[in-house]
Amino acid sequence: MKTLKLISCQRQSLAPVPLQTPNFSWRTPVSTPKLAPFKSYPLRQMFDQPSRFVALLFCSVFIALGVTSPSTAPAQPLSISDYSAIVRVENDALVPDYRTPWNAGRTSGGSGSGFLVGENQFLTNAHVVSDSRILYIKKVGDPKPYKARILHIAHDCDLAMLEVEDYSAFEGVKPLELGGIPQLNTTVIAVGYPVGGERISVTRGVVSRIDFRPYSHSAVDYHLTIQVDAAINPGNSGGPVLQDEKVVGVAFQGYSGAVAQNVGYMIPVPVIERFLKDVEDGSYDHYVDLALSEFNILNPAQRRALKLPNDGIGVMVANVNADGSASDALQVGDVLLEINGHPIFSNGFVDINGEQVNMNEIVERKFAGDVINLKILRDQQEKEIELTLKRFLPYLIQGKQYDKKPRYLVFAGLVFQPLDLNLYAAHSIDDMHVRYLFNYFVAEELYKDIEEPVVLTSVLPAAINTHLRGYAGSVVEEVNGYPIKKLSDLYDALNDDEARDYHVFKIAGQGRPIVLDASLVESAHDQILAEYKVPNDYSNE
Amino acid sequence: MRLTLAPLLIIALGITTLLSTGPAAAQPSAETSLVRVNVTSQSYNFLRPWEKKAPSTRRGLGAVLEGEKVITTAELVANATYLELEMPDTGEKVTADIAGIDYEANLAVLTPDSDASDFLASRVPLEIASEATVGDTLEIWQIEDNGTPVATSVKIIKVDIGPYFLDSSYFLTYEVYGALQSRSGSFTLPVVKDGKLAGLLLGYSSDDQVSDVLASPIIERFLEELKKDEYTGFPHLGVNYAQTLDEQLRGYAGLNGHEGGVYITKVVKGSSADDAGLEVGDVLLKLGDYEIDSRGNYDHPLYGKINLSHIVRGGASTGDVIPIEILRDGKPLTLEATLKHKRPEDYLVDPYMFNRGPRFLTEGGLIFQELTLPYLKSWGGKWRTQAPFKLMYINANQEEFEENGRDKVVFLSQVLRTPSTLGYERLSHLIVTKVNDREINNIRDLDQALKSPIDGIHKIEFDSFPRMIFVDAEEAAAVNQQLLQLGIPELKRLD
Repeated sequence: MKTLKLISCQRQSLAPVPLQTPNFSWRTPVSTPKLAPFKSYPLRQMFDQPSRFVALLFCSVFIALGVTSPSTAPAQPLSISDYSAIVRVENDALVPDYRTPWNAGRTSGGSGSGFLVGENQFLTNAHVVSDSRILYIKKVGDPKPYKARILHIAHDCDLAMLEVEDYSAFEGVKPLELGGIPQLNTTVIAVGYPVGGERISVTRGVVSRIDFRPYSHSAVDYHLTIQVDAAINPGNSGGPVLQDEKVVGVAFQGYSGAVAQNVGYMIPVPVIERFLKDVEDGSYDHYVDLALSEFNILNPAQRRALKLPNDGIGVMVANVNADGSASDALQVGDVLLEINGHPIFSNGFVDINGEQVNMNEIVERKFAGDVINLKILRDQQEKEIELTLKRFLPYLIQGKQYDKKPRYLVFAGLVFQPLDLNLYAAHSIDDMHVRYLFNYFVAEELYKDIEEPVVLTSVLPAAINTHLRGYAGSVVEEVNGYPIKKLSDLYDALNDDEARDYHVFKIAGQGRPIVLDASLVESAHDQILAEYKVPNDYSNE
Repeated sequence: MRLTLAPLLIIALGITTLLSTGPAAAQPSAETSLVRVNVTSQSYNFLRPWEKKAPSTRRGLGAVLEGEKVITTAELVANATYLELEMPDTGEKVTADIAGIDYEANLAVLTPDSDASDFLASRVPLEIASEATVGDTLEIWQIEDNGTPVATSVKIIKVDIGPYFLDSSYFLTYEVYGALQSRSGSFTLPVVKDGKLAGLLLGYSSDDQVSDVLASPIIERFLEELKKDEYTGFPHLGVNYAQTLDEQLRGYAGLNGHEGGVYITKVVKGSSADDAGLEVGDVLLKLGDYEIDSRGNYDHPLYGKINLSHIVRGGASTGDVIPIEILRDGKPLTLEATLKHKRPEDYLVDPYMFNRGPRFLTEGGLIFQELTLPYLKSWGGKWRTQAPFKLMYINANQEEFEENGRDKVVFLSQVLRTPSTLGYERLSHLIVTKVNDREINNIRDLDQALKSPIDGIHKIEFDSFPRMIFVDAEEAAAVNQQLLQLGIPELKRLD
């Protein structure tokens, strides 16, 4: 992970919160201490992952967007008379090993919390139930585990909805209601099953901060979060945070004690509601985004050069990601003046109901296919633009993947895998081309040319490849004359039924090709698979 | 008492005289043929290019050669601000000049200042031992603080090419074995064979008692080259290659039926090999008179198997023409390379820079620089992983970026907070593509472009986010004056 340091985080103290000037921080190193999602013990090993490029994809701060705040008076602490809606979620997981992608993986697991939000609808964190093999839900005061399954899982906002096979034990349990965004310095309680004992736990604190923060589960998403000082510990994840007997958040991540004290985060109601609305149609469709980056217009010379009046309105479009929602409509140098009728201030914020929030807030709660109206200035002409929002996929390789089997291809002992964060984290790759492709995949729009870089990750040593071990950790550009833009290209290039003496692999940054004598490959290939216990030589599901 | 002592004193003096003149003249020794070299050096701060770092002082040894000059390593005298030679016994000192220096070969010739041109007259010049090889015993010469010479015997255990001073420059090196104790903290120790200079000590590992010695054939060649009207440096071919031990690669490259050969993996643009027409994918079979084996070595008549680079770097001069036998698409072909040396300033990213500061320009608090390797190395011991990745990538893939017609990479290295840079404070390490609609291929282009603001505003474009920024030209000029008053001594260095 050495390389990641370059674009992201030195592990430092809490120091500057990147989101005070959100659209600026995207391009500058953000010092982000390690956030640990609060699943349970053993704590999942988290990796430092930058969110520099992708931050822009999901930027928004959602304070007060049509969400009714509770009474302005400080809320009273509540006493929940009935904890039966709050459950313990136990997950036996099977986590794939990207170093041996053909194996089933290692068993892992742990427990978190969850709560009933509707009939046989239990809400919890995605990270509590990721890579699940078997899931159980346990009820307060009932030793019986109830077998559960995932209805919907949203890794981009760390939420999941579960159901139990047999709901009868929960009949009559009243689901929890969602509240709104709590005021600063009002009391909340966190309820769940954290470390420290077997039975349900209640901790109390106040709302410390409402901010736009990275969600560490995917490592690439930013959404609104609420910080509380109630003790939130491993095992609290997925449990409700309550005020006036209503859910005001889902506890989900925090810092280790070594970094910060009394800092816990919850997923606030707007994010929960968006998730619930998204899955109403039976499937989760993910967040959408503008897929552009804007640059503040704070410098007077900028304003003059862009022919803007001195009214503090407008941000400059600095990048428009190809294939994104705005790729056909906007260009670098355009000035964004309004979004859905809200004037955009020169720091990238808009005013919604008296609150200053990031302009992407408007986009944050939209769904695929929704339309956004922009007023822009281009060549001194004001223009109205309508954008249809869609998901932007290229950033996914920079995020953590779950519930997916690793894809790979083994050929004569050479192991090829598509590049993503899971792979990057599993293999310590220092090849400069791999690092470049990984780090600049979105920022330099490398995805326009390459769907997924294919990396020769390791070599299973055998006579046929004994001189090739030094090439592990490099990118395959071309095989047998075919450009390799995705894993299946590699399969096709090796199985095109052409008669050839040698299979030739062109490797990025290497002047010499990897050459395999076709007449030797056939027997060596099967022998290697047998010797190294690789059941299949290709998996691309 | 007085009477009896007198004859004794005379005898004693007589003996001393005999020892210091008679046999010593014929036999050079650490006592008679070395001088101390005291160096105060000061390097530029590449992160704040208008200033130099704090000066530091080192001392080393130099060997006195015929013609009243001293040979030592370039490393010792790099970035020197003040140089002096010192007699090890008497402590007499004189200011010195650098008569010739080659950072790649890590050699420098020093001469006493013209006011004291006879300073070395009393020294016995060393001859160069042109031959030494595995098994030979060498002496490493040192001098104690009090002037006493110390000689340590070591044995050559290996001769091959190795890095000298710059990590990119490999030359002939003797690896010697033997315990060595450092005396009076000296840098650069002369190494002698049978009273002749066999090399200069580059480094010593106390763990395995192995030292690397800059070999005398390189010194000889350096001295020869210095005699030319213009010093043109040590030539290089300008290729990277891969070994061909892999039978499958050999078969693919058409090497069946041949003995050795290496696979060319890179040809440096504008290098001797490039001019000769060598291409990636060619197989190099013979260079000059020597067959190249599949590991990239050849049989040297004296040293045995040694790396092919010595054929050019240690065995030829710029301007020499050398035949290159290759296999291209399985067919033999002979090319001719006229050897040359590509100067550091001719690379897109200067691989080294001494005794001069980096080119830079400040405008209104924006600091622009030309990318150099020393800039990247400013990140310290872990620069390979900690220096800005995009700049590292450019350094490693210079050809890719040269194709755009650039001769240097101009980048915004940092932004000082000034009225002109409001909103830009956090930008850094951005590659400049255009300024005021003019292409920027080096710092002089930038200087020119900044003379023509558009409607009083400088438009500066980058290859990545935020793509363009604007700065008020008049305000920037005022800020420049303030920066000068605040203690930045110069706003630009274009040469």
